[in-house]
Amino acid sequence: MEDLTSPLQDVRGTDCAADASDDALLLQFAEGDAAAARVLTARLGPKCFSVAQRMLGNRAEAEDVTQDAMMRLWQMAPKWVPGQAKVSTWLYRVTLNLCVDVLRKKRPDRLDDVPEPEDEDLSAADRLQEAARKDALQMALSQLPDRQRQAVILRHIEELPNPEIAGIMGISTEAVESLTARGKRALVAILAGRQDELGYDDG
Amino acid sequence: MNWGMMMAEDDMELDQLFAQARSARPDLPDDLAVRILTDAETVRLDRLKPAAPERSVWARILDGIGGWQSMGGLVAASAAGVWIGFAAPDFLPDPATILYPQDTSFVVADLGLDTTFLEDAE
Repeated sequence: MEDLTSPLQDVRGTDCAADASDDALLLQFAEGDAAAARVLTARLGPKCFSVAQRMLGNRAEAEDVTQDAMMRLWQMAPKWVPGQAKVSTWLYRVTLNLCVDVLRKKRPDRLDDVPEPEDEDLSAADRLQEAARKDALQMALSQLPDRQRQAVILRHIEELPNPEIAGIMGISTEAVESLTARGKRALVAILAGRQDELGYDDG
Repeated sequence: MNWGMMMAEDDMELDQLFAQARSARPDLPDDLAVRILTDAETVRLDRLKPAAPERSVWARILDGIGGWQSMGGLVAASAAGVWIGFAAPDFLPDPATILYPQDTSFVVADLGLDTTFLEDAE
């Protein structure tokens, strides 16, 4: 086994492999190059983790999903055909699917996730701080339908271009635009306390 | 303040929240990176493991009958069989006379052939 005590140190330094494309690195890994796995982990792991964290709003679950998605990447490596799609597109799709699985399993007993009722004794300033602490955006995101949440996270937090989001979600660019627009409107309504305006149509 | 201005303000607030979320994107926790790389290493080493060498047909047949040790006994038994066939001990009946208890001349006569040449030869 390789020494894994400081896993990403090498790739933050002057590793020549850090310049290689994801495609090339995946190929190198499939051929038995351990250093390629380090670069890929440093490059793609944070993307996976960030999306999973925003989709699930739960760190432990996001960590498990990230590990699972990366495991699938390692196993898929020998079958990868370079140049057909971006490795990151494939990985985002796998991550989102795993997140949806987790959310589906959780849904029957989601009582734990309902935000606590606000304390009437808090001053307006305190309440603002409280909302910031709880991450108002996360609270609002968790109320969006899955597809809207995915599109909004990929567009506005991961800052991916619409065609790439379309590739990840397996839909047209127009559908991505529609999902993000509806998602944003819903978020604005949730944050302004106007949930009654929400249309929970998904698609 | 009219409805449109309110909406614009809400949009700005949302954009600010997105900007905050972008700047606060989490790093990959070190322990998670270790878990991921351990998985990668396990997959990599599994793949590098040489496949079991292909065994020859003879080696597999030999395995089937119990290896080289049993082969010695098999060879001895076969050799004894060949020898008994070739030079049967006196106390054993000749299997040929049991199965075909005829004289060869009857056989040829049965075929309705001219057997005078046999007599000439004698």
